[in-house]
Amino acid sequence: MKKIVLISIGTALLLFTGCSKKTPEVDMTKKSEMNANQNAKAADTKVSAMSNSMDTSANQTASNMNANGNDVNYKIAQLEQKTKIIHFDFDKYNIREDQKPLVEEDANIVNSDDAKDFSVKLEGNTDEWGTDEYNYALGLRRAKSVKSALVTLGVDANRLMIISYGESNPVCTEHNKACWAKNRRVEFKFLP
Amino acid sequence: MKKILLVLIVSCLTLFAFDATIDIVKKGNKLPKIVVQDATDNSFADKYIEKKIFKLLIGDLKISANFIVDDRYIKTTYEGDYKENFQSNIMPDLIARFKLEKQDNTLIGYMKLINAKNGSAIMQNIYKISNKNRYPFLAHKMIIDINNKLGAPSIDWMQRFVIFAKYTGKKKSDIVISDYTLSYQKTIVTGGLNIFPKWANQNQDAFYYSSYNGRTPVLYKVDLKKGKRYKIISSKGMLVCSDVSKDENRLVLTMAPNDQPDIYIYDLQTKKLERITKFKGIDVSGNFIDNETRIAFVSDRLGYPNIFAKRPHLYAPVEQLVYQGKNNNSFSAYENYLVFSRREGDSEFGKNSFNLYLISTKTEYIRQLTATGKNYFPRFANKGETIMFIKNYKRQSALGIIRLYSNKSFLFPLKVGRIQSLDW
Repeated sequence: MKKIVLISIGTALLLFTGCSKKTPEVDMTKKSEMNANQNAKAADTKVSAMSNSMDTSANQTASNMNANGNDVNYKIAQLEQKTKIIHFDFDKYNIREDQKPLVEEDANIVNSDDAKDFSVKLEGNTDEWGTDEYNYALGLRRAKSVKSALVTLGVDANRLMIISYGESNPVCTEHNKACWAKNRRVEFKFLP
Repeated sequence: MKKILLVLIVSCLTLFAFDATIDIVKKGNKLPKIVVQDATDNSFADKYIEKKIFKLLIGDLKISANFIVDDRYIKTTYEGDYKENFQSNIMPDLIARFKLEKQDNTLIGYMKLINAKNGSAIMQNIYKISNKNRYPFLAHKMIIDINNKLGAPSIDWMQRFVIFAKYTGKKKSDIVISDYTLSYQKTIVTGGLNIFPKWANQNQDAFYYSSYNGRTPVLYKVDLKKGKRYKIISSKGMLVCSDVSKDENRLVLTMAPNDQPDIYIYDLQTKKLERITKFKGIDVSGNFIDNETRIAFVSDRLGYPNIFAKRPHLYAPVEQLVYQGKNNNSFSAYENYLVFSRREGDSEFGKNSFNLYLISTKTEYIRQLTATGKNYFPRFANKGETIMFIKNYKRQSALGIIRLYSNKSFLFPLKVGRIQSLDW
């Protein structure tokens, strides 16, 4: 019996030592992650600040803009405020009839003199239903539908890029059909 | 003693040798009854860990489905006779007696498995862990050893790490490594949108994940031992690593270099990227099946999400794998079995639920695994008998475990954030 016990202890120690070795000790949240992402993050922060300013009061945005009238950010904020968000039906990525006039308005904005120096990122989004992996693909197809429509309306395809954020970027976080409808959308982001 | 063990082993083997799609309803009488006794000295200061370990031991035993567990808290001494604080009305077959000690920063656990019929020690192990935050793994290992000592069906999956992404805000997601109960959690990647983590190997010392923090998504590999990450590939639109080949050399990706979400295979050694699907709609979530001779994936080529398969060549024909349901948007494959998430109803105004179903790819058999709620992202354990999944409710979620043979499921809620995807 003693032998069995000793062997068990030895095995347990060995196994557990092995087990703890594989336990991750690395925290990628620290330097390596931050440094590696610095440039990308800087770009993102810019875009993010832009969309925040859209969400906040118009007065505040206007005063910031007046102080820096020629600023690129000011132009971008204005353009993004003008563009119409394109909404989609549940689980669909075709552009609805009622959204087509909005896409035409957007095409005019993208082709306007104010916007000609910018490229445009079309961000596809979904509601919270379904698996996120599928939702990222669904969001991308929505963005692609808008891109194709814009190209048909005369926008240079080389100025357009698409990306999907799946359900990670909701504009409404309540759990009702009105809210889900708001989240199924493609937004326009202008990039210098 | 040998007789008892033999009976246990034979009954367990008989019970668990069935096809995974067959429900097992009555078997309780044949399982050994076990109690857990806490023999930790009163001088042990960390009462929180002591109580948590007791709860984890009880939980692991229950989830193993190999025991009848009496979950009453019983205090005793480690060296005491087996009849010490023996509650004869419980009539256990086995006593799992544990003791905790702390030496400097090392947490030491003792586990003694006692035959409650005659007091003989079946197993005595000592466990040491230098990082006390990892105490859940100490408890899991104790139960795995008890289980293995008795020759019961393997529950080794309990000591595997779970890796998951959780949303923390708009376009913000952290990647976390945890145990299967979420009792241990360590954030590994934070800052921005970091999603779809996927273990790179069986040893779980590296993983892939998608970073959506620049203009284009990037797939990184993180080496946990070296603490370094490496850029693997980037793609416009979207990028997800959904499977890794057994030899760890090939990745199944969903990416969209031409704005079109399709399945690709990327060879890490030759750096060759091969497109596998070419449908104009959505192809996503590729997984190797049939010993890596085919790829199963989710596609909306019939007008709704469903699961298909093809050989890993662009022009190979596509075969529909699932004929039940009109909205099957995620799945996991193990040998001849598929588990998938299916929407009940076909609009957001219908029944607000996604349920998991298990099917055999060789027969017509289908088994419903969940009945209510939103159940997504099923993932087989590597032995196929256990499924992990995400259960969502409002903006929160829980990690779910389904034990196929015992027909039981368990939920472990995530207190903060919402699980985006997982792997284990």
